[in-house]
Amino acid sequence: MSFTPASTHRADKSLKQKMQEGTLVSFTTIHHPPEGFESGPRHIGLIKLADGTTVTGQLLTTNVLNLEIGQVVLPKMRLSRINNEGLRLYDIAYDVSTLKTVKEEFPGYMVALTGPSGVGKTTISVVLATTIGKEIERVPIVTTREIKDGDEDEYVHISTEEFAKMKKGNLLATSTSIPSTTEKRWYGYRTSDIEAIWAKGKVPMVITEMNLLQGLSAHFGRRSILSFGVLPPGKSKRQMLSSLLHRLRDRGRDTEKQIKDRLKNAEADLQFFSDRKELFDHLIVNDQLETVIENLTSHVRDRIKV
Amino acid sequence: MQEKIFITGCGQTTFGEKWNQGLRDLMDEAITAAIENAGCTALDIDMVIVGNMLGEVTNNQAHLGAMAASLLPHHPPSLRAEAACASGAVALHTACALLESKKAETVLVIGVEKMTDTPAGKIASALMGAADAEKDAPSGLTFPGIFGLIATRYMHEYGLTRDRLNAVSAKHHKNAVSNPFAQFRSAIPAEKISQSPKVAEPLCMLDCSPISDGAAAVILSTKFESPLCIEASQIASDTVSITDRATLTSFASTKDAMEAALTEAHLTREDIDHIELHDCFSIAAIISLEDMGFAEPGKGVTLYEKDGPLTINASGGLKACGHPVAATGIKQIIDISKQLIASGKSFGLTQNFGGAAATCGIHILKHTPVS
Repeated sequence: MSFTPASTHRADKSLKQKMQEGTLVSFTTIHHPPEGFESGPRHIGLIKLADGTTVTGQLLTTNVLNLEIGQVVLPKMRLSRINNEGLRLYDIAYDVSTLKTVKEEFPGYMVALTGPSGVGKTTISVVLATTIGKEIERVPIVTTREIKDGDEDEYVHISTEEFAKMKKGNLLATSTSIPSTTEKRWYGYRTSDIEAIWAKGKVPMVITEMNLLQGLSAHFGRRSILSFGVLPPGKSKRQMLSSLLHRLRDRGRDTEKQIKDRLKNAEADLQFFSDRKELFDHLIVNDQLETVIENLTSHVRDRIKV
Repeated sequence: MQEKIFITGCGQTTFGEKWNQGLRDLMDEAITAAIENAGCTALDIDMVIVGNMLGEVTNNQAHLGAMAASLLPHHPPSLRAEAACASGAVALHTACALLESKKAETVLVIGVEKMTDTPAGKIASALMGAADAEKDAPSGLTFPGIFGLIATRYMHEYGLTRDRLNAVSAKHHKNAVSNPFAQFRSAIPAEKISQSPKVAEPLCMLDCSPISDGAAAVILSTKFESPLCIEASQIASDTVSITDRATLTSFASTKDAMEAALTEAHLTREDIDHIELHDCFSIAAIISLEDMGFAEPGKGVTLYEKDGPLTINASGGLKACGHPVAATGIKQIIDISKQLIASGKSFGLTQNFGGAAATCGIHILKHTPVS
């Protein structure tokens, strides 16, 4: 098999299409991959993508026992192989770490705001509550992190043991641990909280981050989420990060060390917006609050018809 | 069939690792054997059709039609047919078309493959040519991988267990013990199948047909009569890539070719006494039985668990006989001929598919015992 620059260029055109969430139709582990591929076992899946097309792709997992037909998989750009001429060939591989099987029924809509720490998600949600507050209710975050000054009623604080128990009992729609040098923090959403809001006839809103968003999308289905990415103002990534730094310092809730952690995570968050475009319906720059609220409200009313 | 097409001669090499023979030597041996037991002479052959998939990759050799023709004293006209693992069946189908159209009266059909000169990695890539190079191959998929996907899905849909799947290869190995042309003539207990090294989970080494060298030839004629004739010759196609299929657990091409073949022969499947089917992987044998209508969907394995009136791969199949790609479709005809003559029964069938059954060829043979 030859992969020339021209054939690779043609194949690249399909990459964007393959960059979708999908469900696993079947899978296998090949113990002797063909020439040119990394030696050693290679997990390959047949995947039905969100738009209905089927593709084959490498599965990113370390444990085959975790694989399950019907499972949600998420796309990731990966170096696939290097050809004889040294050309580096990239392909879409699929991440199976979510461990969730797809739900056939459509449970309802929810609104998600995703963005780096300090971008102003909480402020936006507070103002949003005054404009469309009757129809929208905030979903509390269950967390193991310690109570801090300035925490609103957004958090439900529980112990790490309790959190682990809930996770094991499948009570959480999604959960994640956010790496930090100062403390081990777990965050998650209870399925019951979200379902209770739907039962009231309201639209749940989550103020979230990338891992939780992926989990929600896998749990409830991508189409049930009206997803907004909130970006800090700034023309370049460096300007964006610098405006975040100023906001975090002005807020005065975190120590310098914590701010440093947050900025590190923020960098990954910004990258996530471009890597996982398909997870967002709208990207909004938070420079003028009024415009942002107007923008958000119109999108929410438009799509969800509250 | 529009003409009565007789099988007047059959011959094959043993299948296996044949280091002392190249492509030409293999063809020469099979052709010589076929002519020796034919009701005609070499000079009566007025057309040669060669089935071959990988000559260019494995032997740097194309133009196999002329090469085969040059092995006959009068160099008859020739051509090559290719449809991956179904190359043998499409070569036969082409021959039948020439005979029916009266373009020829006696045709030599030969399938040949010389695979063991080539390193395993290169062979694996070359065989992937039977799948879709743009849709299937870039993920790193191999052919065992494609059937691994099919097996995983089949097990999911029908609850087939790994232990029950073992029955397929075990039976093929048992059958091959008495076949002098088979590559592996040793019985293997069922439990050993799933203990063999993993190739593409859930498939193990002993679920997969081997890499083999070999050639098989038949001489078909409308002029020289014999007790055996071809009652139906049908081929059907499906998408090359499995990503374009609605289902993984059934092959539309097998179903289409089977229906067309039964119609052509004016038979029902209950009339068939012997079949040789395409067990490139154990799971393929099960799916093929279901697609041909010999078992309900999900129940194919039961035919391997007990002996019934229908014999399945009495030769040992691709698994135990070896699978020199294009030779397989011709070798199946030879085996069914032998089985019909031995049993004195009337009808036998061969099913030979290429890729993930993107091409399937089905031939029905009729035996009229000489009274």
